[in-house]
Amino acid sequence: MAKPLIGTATARVDGTAKVTGRADYAADRTEPGLAHGHLVLSTAGRGTLRSMDVTAAEAAEGVLAVYSPFNPLKLHRIKTTPDVCFVGQFWLPLQDQEIRHYGQIIGLVVAETFEQARHAASLIRAEYDLLPVRADFAGRIAHAVPPPVAINHEDPQVDLLAEEFGTVDEALAAGPVQVRATYTQPPEAPLALEPHACLASWSEGVLTLRVGSQSPVGGALAAAETLGIGLDQVRVLSPYVGGAFGGKLYIWPHPLLTAAAARELGRPVRTVLTQEQVFTTVGHRSAVSQTLALGAERDGTLVAVKHDAVSSLSLSGVIYETAAHTTSRYTYKSPSLHVGQRIVPLDSPPTTWVRAPGEAPGAFALESAMDELATELALDPVELRMRNYATVFPGRGVRWSGKHLDECYRVGAERFGWQPRTAPRPQPAEDSDQVWLTGTGMAGATYPGNLLPTTLANVRLRADGTATVATATSDPGTGMRTVLAMVCADDLGIPVERVEALVGDSALPLNYGAFASMGTSSSAGAVRSATTALKQRLLDLAAGDARSPFHGLAAEALAYRDGRVVGGGHSLTFAELLAATGLSELDSPGASAPGAERLRFAVHSFGAHFCELRVNRWTGEVRLDRWTSVIDGGTIINPRTARAQIVGGILFGIGQALLEGIRVEPDTGRFANGNLADYLVPVHADMPDFDIHFLDHPDTDFTPLGARGIGELGVVGTAAAIANAVHDATGRRVRDLPITVDKLL
Amino acid sequence: MRPFDYAAPRTVEEALAQHADGAAYLAGGTSLVDLMKLDVARPHRVVDVNSLPLHGVTTDERGLHLSALERLGDLARHPAVADGHPVLRQALLASASPQLRNMATIGGNLLQRTRCGYFRDTAAACNKREPGSGCAARTGDNRGHAVLGAGPSCVATHPSDPAVALSALDALLELHGADGVREVPLNSFYRLPGETPQTETVLRPGELITRVTVPPLPGADRSVYVKVRDRRSYEFALVSAAVAVDLHDGEVRGVRIALGGVAPRPWRAHAAEQALTGREFTRANALEAAAAAADGAEPLSGNAFKIELVRRTVGHALTRLGGR
Ligand SMILES: Cc1cc2nc3c(=O)[nH]c(=O)nc-3n(C[C@H](O)[C@H](O)[C@H](O)COP(=O)(O)OP(=O)(O)OC[C@H]3O[C@@H](n4cnc5c(N)ncnc54)[C@H](O)[C@@H]3O)c2cc1C
Repeated sequence: MAKPLIGTATARVDGTAKVTGRADYAADRTEPGLAHGHLVLSTAGRGTLRSMDVTAAEAAEGVLAVYSPFNPLKLHRIKTTPDVCFVGQFWLPLQDQEIRHYGQIIGLVVAETFEQARHAASLIRAEYDLLPVRADFAGRIAHAVPPPVAINHEDPQVDLLAEEFGTVDEALAAGPVQVRATYTQPPEAPLALEPHACLASWSEGVLTLRVGSQSPVGGALAAAETLGIGLDQVRVLSPYVGGAFGGKLYIWPHPLLTAAAARELGRPVRTVLTQEQVFTTVGHRSAVSQTLALGAERDGTLVAVKHDAVSSLSLSGVIYETAAHTTSRYTYKSPSLHVGQRIVPLDSPPTTWVRAPGEAPGAFALESAMDELATELALDPVELRMRNYATVFPGRGVRWSGKHLDECYRVGAERFGWQPRTAPRPQPAEDSDQVWLTGTGMAGATYPGNLLPTTLANVRLRADGTATVATATSDPGTGMRTVLAMVCADDLGIPVERVEALVGDSALPLNYGAFASMGTSSSAGAVRSATTALKQRLLDLAAGDARSPFHGLAAEALAYRDGRVVGGGHSLTFAELLAATGLSELDSPGASAPGAERLRFAVHSFGAHFCELRVNRWTGEVRLDRWTSVIDGGTIINPRTARAQIVGGILFGIGQALLEGIRVEPDTGRFANGNLADYLVPVHADMPDFDIHFLDHPDTDFTPLGARGIGELGVVGTAAAIANAVHDATGRRVRDLPITVDKLL
Repeated sequence: MRPFDYAAPRTVEEALAQHADGAAYLAGGTSLVDLMKLDVARPHRVVDVNSLPLHGVTTDERGLHLSALERLGDLARHPAVADGHPVLRQALLASASPQLRNMATIGGNLLQRTRCGYFRDTAAACNKREPGSGCAARTGDNRGHAVLGAGPSCVATHPSDPAVALSALDALLELHGADGVREVPLNSFYRLPGETPQTETVLRPGELITRVTVPPLPGADRSVYVKVRDRRSYEFALVSAAVAVDLHDGEVRGVRIALGGVAPRPWRAHAAEQALTGREFTRANALEAAAAAADGAEPLSGNAFKIELVRRTVGHALTRLGGR
């Protein structure tokens, strides 16, 4: 039997196409008669659009149309919610004159060339009747309200208290040692290398919409609902997606407007957003402020955890960060536990899902607070975590399907060379020549393991010895295509080069896409179900078809091994069998869906991060030197793309910790740094050396393949590990992200 | 971007002749084209100077001559720059990214426009872009803005790194205009905003920078560029310091301290220079001088930290040069 591919580091099957420019992203396509759209955005934060002077724009060379609320493109109102129709906001632009946030779409110019459209757009003048803008998150925290809907099927406030206490505050007070602090972070943008872009063309009433999307099926649902067409009249293509991070899960208005314009003009239209436009027309992560209190015995045993989060919620969107419910709710064993969530509604661009939504801010607060408690107790932070290790999901009484976080801590500490510490690091003398202060920090990570609703796949054997695997998911750089090809090749016992994975097309078998770290577990499960059924079909064919050399043998007497059907002294490759039976191909569908495992177990992936950094004593600059993460994600199908996922997640966390943050002007709602020059994300020089290690504990209580998600796990805890290391190096605790030099002077 | 004419002269004279009102010279284009796309720069005509014979690095008794079209990357690699001018080489290498340094010219670098977010946004009030419209940065997002030399009309900083090193090195700029050639010290080239922040230099309309000269300067080889920024690479300075020390028997004969990221132009910290000149190069003296580096600074709502950061950056630079 050939060496199994699953678990073997495998190069991306689409790597060559990507690095040679042959991968066609949405903006790469051109079509005969292509026209170009350019968005016009509001420069007011709230009020009414009184008028727009489009005379000069309409007269400009090459302009085909200028759409605005005064000359709208008709879109149908969204009657459902984002999780049903996959549109990221409640309202659609150009349908009324209301200004709901700064930088909202108020127009679409379509012209013969991109440059003509952009130039004409710059000639448009808008007048507004202004209303006061509610954009000051910090200033409005006092007015926070409970969210209108449940969080993970629980109330916005959950209290699980030891019997003797009536409130969590009483429980906290009973602990001889307490820490309490507030942690804040600004809104963050899910920036992707591929610009948000789309190309819409209509043919005989059917829309083909090319758009970088994490969910082509969601895109089709959104287009059908808003354009007033049937699902059979739209096909969404996202063969390649250059990074998404949540920002390409829902469809934003620009592809819908572009499709409507293409329908009206009778020409294909392409709209490519500038990065500045992406900041306000695509969603972002809420600003979050969290207050965390921990009560503990002197030996470090927690007696109470109280975690209250306040997140911004755009009045245009429906998604916000649920920081406490997604972290403190289950991370540590504590006899008393309180998590609470409130929201601050703002006149801001939509808030939306961004990689590790909830866990990213939540773990920053919780894992910083644990470090503060360790310092307070003069206890090693790893030891403190072990003393509060949870084996049962609090309040539900179920164990985890697989949890090896203790091993993550232990192996991580070993690999990193973690020195247990019980006292603050001594600081150099004031006049010492030492420039750099070194510090180390650690934090734990958790991310839920979920499965998509019903997920379908199709696997097809072809007479030329190749196979295809198809499902409507997307590969936003995660390596999904490669993983699906690997699972299919492994199951069929053929080299991965002979498998073609088809993704990124809403017309393929139903799959809601790549998000919430559940794409691989769900899609790979559907593929395995398809290959299992397909192998049986092949054996039935071998036994039942008169032209088959196996004819007359019972199907049970045959076996499928390494790409061949064997039995009764015969051995044929599937290609030979297909040829013998006169078939050009043979296929089978497969499906996966969540089952009872959700009731019997809690399912999470786990990890532990350890980092070493330096802080410049003069300037406060932070330099990350090395990083160890140990990951418990169940079966790791492709260690190569898995490593890239973890490193990418940590990178996200490094941005959160040290660089990122939208600076919102409180009075206008304008994003002062809403562009790629001023909104900083990490560059290569900011990277430490990475040591990423995967534990090998297949989670077969979760799925037969045993793989849990890891796409978001790397983000979780990273900011805390860095903040904790900064504290170790400098003695300063920064609770307000990002940790910039001004906070360390 | 607005429609424009394009001309590609081959000589300086042709270039001067083709530069009319509302025209802009195009060198590497990394600043100009960016601003044209943002609709901030709106030249009617673009005069591409890349075919002019303004290349090469030479040295003679007047010093080191850098022709205006030399790319930052080439200059950073040039032995005549590396030998004896560490501050300039370090400032060049701390600028932008390798790709940009391969396009960006030294002439264009000195004339790049401010990174102020309100200057770059046509919807915002900005006296530099639209005289009389106001200054949104004064009360807005001004973490990156000036603490020295700014005024009510404008609080933008000059973003160049090489200009800061060249300020410390007392460089001279050769300018070619309709009236002939003149040489202007870099330290008198930039104007403070006053009432006319739109006029940033003493360059006359149509005048070309043709050459940058770094005169022989005792101490240039004991020099350093310290750039403090939020990101480790590919980012402008929050604060930077170009420092050159002329040391004789442990005593500071002369010191030049120029600051970046804090003023509308490269800013010479004269009080700090004076505090150290003629004194022993000890850590204590260096720190005393550094403490004077931000003299006269006035913070805005979001950038008070820069004042302390200036002192620390200068202290760091001086101790790196041996002030122990
Ligand atoms: C993302 C990014 C990051 C950057 N980071 C840094 C940084 O960290 N440090 C730094 O110093 N710079 C940085 N820069 C700026 C960059 O160095 C400048 O844009 C570049 O040096 C300008 O040179 P250029 O040849 O491209 O000029 P151009 O864009 O061609 O011209 C700039 C201006 O100078 C005028 N001009 C050009 N040459 C002449 C001449 N010979 N005579 C008269 N006028 C002339 C033009 O008309 C124009 O007004 C960055 C730029 C970008 C885009």
